[in-house]
Amino acid sequence: MKKFRTGLVVASTATLALSLAACSSGDSTDSSSGGATGGDAMGNTLTVWAWDPNFNIYAMQAAEKIYQKDHPDFTLDIQEVTWDDVQTKLTTLAQSQEYDQLPDIFLMQNNAFQKNVINYPDIVTDITDSGVDFSQFPAGVTAYSTIDGKNYGVPFDSGTAINAMRTDVLEQAGLTIDDFTDITWDQYETLAKQVLDKTGKPLLSGQAGSSDMILMMLQSAGASLFDDQGNPTIVDNAALKAAITVYAQMVKDGTFSEVNSWDEYIATLVNGTAASAINGIWISGSIQSAEDQSGKWAVTDLPALDGIDGATHYSANGGSSWAVSSNADVALAEDFLKSTFAGSTELYDEILPASGAVANWLPAGDSAVYSEPQAFFGGQPIYSDVLKFAAEVPANNTGAYYYEARDAVSAAITKIINGTDMDSALQEAQDNVEFAMN
Amino acid sequence: MTRTLREVPKYVYLTLVALVSVAPLYFMAVSATNSTQDVLASRMWPGSHLLENWQTLTSQQDVGAAMYHSTVNAVLTTVLALVVSSIAGYGFEVYHSPNKDRLMWVLMLAMMIPFAATMIPLFQLFADFGMVNSSFAVVLPVIATPLLILMFRQSARSFPHEIIEAARMDGLREFSIFWRMFVPTMRPTYAAAAVITFMAAWNNFLWPKVILVKSTVQTMPMLISNFSAGYVIDYGALMLAVLIASLPTIVIFFVLQRSFVAGFTGVVK
Repeated sequence: MKKFRTGLVVASTATLALSLAACSSGDSTDSSSGGATGGDAMGNTLTVWAWDPNFNIYAMQAAEKIYQKDHPDFTLDIQEVTWDDVQTKLTTLAQSQEYDQLPDIFLMQNNAFQKNVINYPDIVTDITDSGVDFSQFPAGVTAYSTIDGKNYGVPFDSGTAINAMRTDVLEQAGLTIDDFTDITWDQYETLAKQVLDKTGKPLLSGQAGSSDMILMMLQSAGASLFDDQGNPTIVDNAALKAAITVYAQMVKDGTFSEVNSWDEYIATLVNGTAASAINGIWISGSIQSAEDQSGKWAVTDLPALDGIDGATHYSANGGSSWAVSSNADVALAEDFLKSTFAGSTELYDEILPASGAVANWLPAGDSAVYSEPQAFFGGQPIYSDVLKFAAEVPANNTGAYYYEARDAVSAAITKIINGTDMDSALQEAQDNVEFAMN
Repeated sequence: MTRTLREVPKYVYLTLVALVSVAPLYFMAVSATNSTQDVLASRMWPGSHLLENWQTLTSQQDVGAAMYHSTVNAVLTTVLALVVSSIAGYGFEVYHSPNKDRLMWVLMLAMMIPFAATMIPLFQLFADFGMVNSSFAVVLPVIATPLLILMFRQSARSFPHEIIEAARMDGLREFSIFWRMFVPTMRPTYAAAAVITFMAAWNNFLWPKVILVKSTVQTMPMLISNFSAGYVIDYGALMLAVLIASLPTIVIFFVLQRSFVAGFTGVVK
């Protein structure tokens, strides 16, 4: 018995030692740096978390090259981390208070910005006095990363909403893109029925149970799911009711085709089963993957909600901003962001054609690259058009519980479409959000 | 003849079920050779975009490194888990005592704690040891799983006690009894446990995602997740990545398939 125990101890020590050796040989270079990424003692390297090699990572690499012209020793260490993973990591690091694992700069979804700064104020650095001229970004965009009057983010990609339409399908229905410009949702619905009757195609498509479309309509009227004090305003919200009414009617008429997943939504556009898309400008990337549809698309503004004060033709969905972490080489990170994403037309000129990243930085729009005609969109200079839209987008009050409210409203929409009375469904959504907040 | 005829509905049914089960795998394999547009249009026959997809995938992601890290993590987990859990399961059964039974109960209860609840303290622990980004941090929390211990304990139960007594009388040491009598007899149980552990380790996502901060040490599931997170997804290349990631588990399963079934149905008759 005793001998067996000794044997066990020897065996387990041996395996432990073996595995330690195996690990250290495989990852010696990585474990020596221990993952203490940010706050590098070197003073010329910044670690960055971003998530799309064709888009924001590409933009960061371009910014690195531009900054290196004046700072030859400067390098970036860019880690590819998906947005969901950024959120998981931020939560884990904040709750375990291991702030030294944070990178210097990370990209954050605009809609999640307030939530993270309010819940975990110790993960970010206030960059109000960094020298970044925040007035050169649309007020509606800086609002996402402004908390109590302090700026925490440099806006990066634009989530400005566009109404992208298949001109060839519209033509079959005897319409043009101009018929859809500066109209209201009531007029839009009439035209949508006409397109459906003549071509059999719904104008819009989207994921069932997603509230993206409703929230774009809501923001276009300057309305939101919260008031200025952060209290939910899901009940007695005229703009929300108007948006849901329009949406439910379109689903009922078949002019809005609900699909089950994001992939299916992209398929409706690429396969041409839906005749248009209303979404953030970033959707243009997916649209353009259907090369056979080149020249058959055009972009215009959004329909406005009828009878709602402050209704406009402009909105946003998504978009993201760069945050400087609390573990950063703050001076270097601020100077880097100031000289690139908030100060270099050269940067935006390079990343627009190569990655389709549309700037939020307004001076970028003056550049010739933005006004170039886009062959895919029938020669329309869509990017300078989008920047004009961007300046008009009303601010959206997201707050700490934006995602809870969005989920609650999504659930309510599904119920309303299935026949539940709108007021009681919205009351239930409001109750759920209030419960989550307490 | 009538007997063969009677079998027909059975075979038709089984063929249908087999087709339904294989269809997603077939679609995955075929889509790896198709362009995004073809994948979205659910094209069901092979295309000519395999090379293009491979180039897209490898230009954006270091597939070799991810496969290497996945393999190291999964093999290390499997080997250590089999050693630790089989010794534990054997010990619980052979050196039986009421206190050990109570300990077993605690282990079973631990099975019910969701991983998300222990994730943050675990991260804190490994960060304090400076083990963020190391394979060891990925492997260590999953090498002693209640499920495996229970499995080995069950198989040790069917291992005749008389053999152990006889071996002891012949002067074999306790460790040798385990090593030279138990382990060879229980080979199918080990095979079944290896398949389960390897698959779980290979597909493990949440914990590696949290503890592996650097992209350079990412595993295949993390690579796939990264690849599908962009604004514009290349579905052909994505399917190719999924196909590559599923090959090792498919191979392991087919190699150990026979033992896998025996491991569950019982070894000692």
